[in-house]
Amino acid sequence: MSTTAVLRSEWIKMRSLRSVAGSLIAVLIVTLAVTLLAFSTVGQSEAAQAGADPVFNAFYALNFGQIAAISFGATALSAEYLNGALRISLAAVPRRSLLYAVKITVVGAPALAVGLVSSFSTFFLGQTFMGKYAIDLGEPGALRAALGGAIYLMLMALLAAGLTVVLRSAVAVLSLLIPFVLIVSFVVGDASSGVAQFLPDRAGQMVLHQNPEGSLGPWGGLAVAAVWAVAALLAGWWAVRRRDA
Amino acid sequence: MTSIDVHELTKEFGSTRAVDNLTFSVRPGRVTGFLGPNGAGKSTTMRLVLGLDRPTGGTATIGGQFYATIGDPLRRVGALLDAQAAHGARTARNHLLALAVSNGLGARRVEEVLVEAGLGEVGEARIKTFSLGMRQRLGIAAALLGDPEVVMLDEPSNGLDPEGIIWIRELMKRLAREGRTVLVSSHLMNETSSFADHLVILGRGRLLADLPMQEFLDSRSRPRARVRTTDSTRLRDVLIRKGYDPVQGEDGRWTIEGAKAGEIGAIAATEGIAVLELTDEQATLEQAYLDLTADATEFASASSAHPQEA
Repeated sequence: MSTTAVLRSEWIKMRSLRSVAGSLIAVLIVTLAVTLLAFSTVGQSEAAQAGADPVFNAFYALNFGQIAAISFGATALSAEYLNGALRISLAAVPRRSLLYAVKITVVGAPALAVGLVSSFSTFFLGQTFMGKYAIDLGEPGALRAALGGAIYLMLMALLAAGLTVVLRSAVAVLSLLIPFVLIVSFVVGDASSGVAQFLPDRAGQMVLHQNPEGSLGPWGGLAVAAVWAVAALLAGWWAVRRRDA
Repeated sequence: MTSIDVHELTKEFGSTRAVDNLTFSVRPGRVTGFLGPNGAGKSTTMRLVLGLDRPTGGTATIGGQFYATIGDPLRRVGALLDAQAAHGARTARNHLLALAVSNGLGARRVEEVLVEAGLGEVGEARIKTFSLGMRQRLGIAAALLGDPEVVMLDEPSNGLDPEGIIWIRELMKRLAREGRTVLVSSHLMNETSSFADHLVILGRGRLLADLPMQEFLDSRSRPRARVRTTDSTRLRDVLIRKGYDPVQGEDGRWTIEGAKAGEIGAIAATEGIAVLELTDEQATLEQAYLDLTADATEFASASSAHPQEA
């Protein structure tokens, strides 16, 4: 049983589910739609405010793209927990760690690819509306934010994927993570110091700021988000190996 | 040849023992019917054989190997566990293709099994549009993908129409004739008696019987002959004289408890009585099974009187 064969198999499984393929494409569509809406209306007035972070503003739409990324990670794995589909998968590929690693790969790699397209295209699309406030990739932190933003989207998808395996339900994961990134972060909000800065989304989004506050720094923050994702993936791995299917 | 070997297999879910110290082998070249009421542990045993559940104790192997250690397992073992498990949003073709590709099988094989299962026309339809019978056919197609030497089917005739039931019966017989190992679970007795050569019977997770079907029927039925004649009075008198107790049914046939057709035939021949019809009447699988489980129930209630068994 070759890894390539399992990769091809899992890829077929993923692209043959509209809900999963759809939420992956939604990462890009949502990001661009929000970019279009926000930048064509309030883009310049936001930039005119004192203390505005032109880099963070440029990647504003990724906040919404990440919800699609979370949905993608969750639905890609939850398909196996519907009516015991995992049994069919494990009967074909009984090496559980291999199956899991491949599943994570077919979530992570497309999420990173779509993340890159999303972060660069939101940047370029958004800046076309910015007039005299427009920045380019030479702006300090802009290129770093574009690359880091893509990695961030991938990490959120992987976090959701790992949690979905542990909880065996996309609904549970979505109702946990989406309120978390939408509400908790906004409420805990700009207290980007203390414990709050170690939350996966707060930490991960440091990389989108021109001059991130707090002690972590842009890449340090992304690393903290990566630790969250890896922890979720390890928990998922443990569950896949230990549980009866 | 490849057999399925279950050795002292036990599986507990919490405090309930779904499978209790089970030992049996499923041999190639015949259809083994896996019988027992719902909840007897048939499906759990199959999951344990496939390495999907972890046994509490004992082992289950296929050709001496644990399922999880078989490379490209679909080429050696085909299983249908639950027809509803296939994801409804996929097309039948994609469902099979994903399985095939993982075990190094090609798209051509997918088309072959689709046609073999009678799903050639609906390969592009989403599985959620399928009836239960079509899902069963899809599950059987998946089991046949790798042309496996071991086939395990859990309640395959569920939801199948009469045509489908005949198809699956002939398919299982053919697979066994080809020398494959075929294990088929069912709780339908008449159904099972139409295809099984051998029986493994479970009750409450324990092995109740493991024997050829004919032997099981013989062991569970008292001989009884049925005869129809043109000369009822003479036949009755002769039989009573010989110590039999013939009883005439409403249709005119005589039933003789404790007699074999051969004995009655010989008597009729020496007496010169014309016989129109003469058969051994055998218990149906259903009767034999109920007879067995009645014993088992007594055994269970007797043993539960002992506190250490509880």
